[in-house]
Amino acid sequence: MLARLRAVTDRLIGLSAWLGTAALLFLVLTVLVDVIGRAFGHPLYGSQDMTTMAFVVVTFGGMALCDQTGGHIAVDLFERHFPPRLNHLIDIVVDLLGGVLFLGIAYAVWKASALSMMLNLRTNLLGLPQAWFQWILVALSLITGLALLLRAAEFIISGQSRHQMEHPE
Amino acid sequence: MSPVAIALTGISVLLVLLAFRIPVAFAMFLVGFIGVWSLNGLNAAMGLLASESFTLASNPELIVIPLFILMGNVASVTGMSRRLYEAAYAIVGQVRGGLAAATVIGCGGFAALSGSSVASALTMGKVSLAEMDRFNYDPRLSTGVVAAGGTLGILIPPSTGFVIYAILSEQSIGRLFMAGVIPGILLLCMFIVTIWILCLFRPEMGPPGPATSLAEKTRAVVDALPIIILTLLTIGGIYGGFFSPVEAAGVGAGAVILMGFAMRKLSLRQLWQASRDSIVTTAAVMLILIAAHIFNPFLALSHIPDFVEEVITGQGLGPMGTLIIILVIYMVLGAFLEGFAMLVLTLPIFVPIMNSMGVDLIWFGVLVVLTLEMGLISPPVGINVFIVKSVAPKVPLGTIFRGVMPFWFAMLVTLAILVAVPQLSLFLPSQMMQ
Repeated sequence: MLARLRAVTDRLIGLSAWLGTAALLFLVLTVLVDVIGRAFGHPLYGSQDMTTMAFVVVTFGGMALCDQTGGHIAVDLFERHFPPRLNHLIDIVVDLLGGVLFLGIAYAVWKASALSMMLNLRTNLLGLPQAWFQWILVALSLITGLALLLRAAEFIISGQSRHQMEHPE
Repeated sequence: MSPVAIALTGISVLLVLLAFRIPVAFAMFLVGFIGVWSLNGLNAAMGLLASESFTLASNPELIVIPLFILMGNVASVTGMSRRLYEAAYAIVGQVRGGLAAATVIGCGGFAALSGSSVASALTMGKVSLAEMDRFNYDPRLSTGVVAAGGTLGILIPPSTGFVIYAILSEQSIGRLFMAGVIPGILLLCMFIVTIWILCLFRPEMGPPGPATSLAEKTRAVVDALPIIILTLLTIGGIYGGFFSPVEAAGVGAGAVILMGFAMRKLSLRQLWQASRDSIVTTAAVMLILIAAHIFNPFLALSHIPDFVEEVITGQGLGPMGTLIIILVIYMVLGAFLEGFAMLVLTLPIFVPIMNSMGVDLIWFGVLVVLTLEMGLISPPVGINVFIVKSVAPKVPLGTIFRGVMPFWFAMLVTLAILVAVPQLSLFLPSQMMQ
């Protein structure tokens, strides 16, 4: 059961990273076309709308992969002085806390998106509904939150710390 | 419980959480959220969580972060950093300590392509350490110079440190970038002077490298020319008012990618991987920034900045005395805390104090970023030292830390000069096209 969940979660993390990466390349292209177009008197209409909304996907698309690759900044000054059981406990607490945090963001932004729909909030030039991008943020946060909670469950069931799972030898 | 007492409790809990390896962003989220909840209610805390998450992730100014990170990553993958080093090597390599000086110049050049000190140290370490080893450089000098030279990445624009400072202190990113140019060049020169002094007293530390002919020198410089032009285009474009920082970042990233394809040094797979790496770094930086925007309102609601301001101004130290105390605090904190974490934790408290004392916040930003650089090579958690250790695994950590000490003092002297002569930081921003 857990292995199947892990396989599905890894695919979702891969999908969110793919979206984030594609959005970043889209960002580069949009800015480049806008600047070159402006030099010839034809700036890209609504480029700021496109870049700001793509930035939402870049930022939250990378969250799950960032966590999976241990990219979040932490002070590990005392780690080697802690007993293994404490490090194991910390791993579980970090993932539970992170999981709740991302589910909290998803919930709060989901509620905010309902307000955006009600007020019909849109981007300035292209009129893209803000709620669409809030929903993308919600989905990407959900993936990150679920990945964190799943790993907490894996730590609890396996009894191994993050270091032991990453370096099985 | 008074709001100030709640804030002090929150800050204490935050420090405990950090000591227990809770990621900085998670700890700030937790303390900030509970703090706002306790002071203003759950609805206010939830509202803040929703608004800051989306607002920060769609802030047009912050788009420079992934774009400049991508520019640095692609420059690294395509070997452009090697060309910068080779040009400097051809020009100064044959003098005593010349390879170390070439490394510093290469680091400075790479810093102008990438906003990250870690990327600078890693990339330049891979390029230059083997070469210095080949010419029997003392490992203290070779590793120390890479670790220290890498820190230039955060001072010479584009700099992620300046972007974060700008957002947290509500200053212009473009003006901060410009403010970092002269101090960055000054620090680069100070590093070269440090190498020269070391080799003057201990010539065996940096034997001369091979002499190169004029034709070889010319070829090396010509090879590096596109990168030099690109740097001048992006930084000069901001200075001249042709580009906003976001446009400069987009043009820079796009140009590096096109150059990589044109030179057949970049494949689609490499571009995809560099972009994937860039979104991971972006996510880490952005999550800290979002967390800071949850934590900072908690501090503001608790009036802790006012409290600290009262305590500090009560000492009667004046603006300069207060500034020096704050810089000393940064140096101490920098030895233990990761640089960005230190920025987001302290700026909400120190910026209002400096502002109320009439200190120029652009100048203050340069000084803060320089002290943050010093933290990157300070024991026990100098991240650049660990990066160099990963590139030179045979060199003991103690040797690298001993090697960076002369450069740490060079930074201290530079800091003193910048404190004494604010115009070094403020001249270029004051001349900028509006």
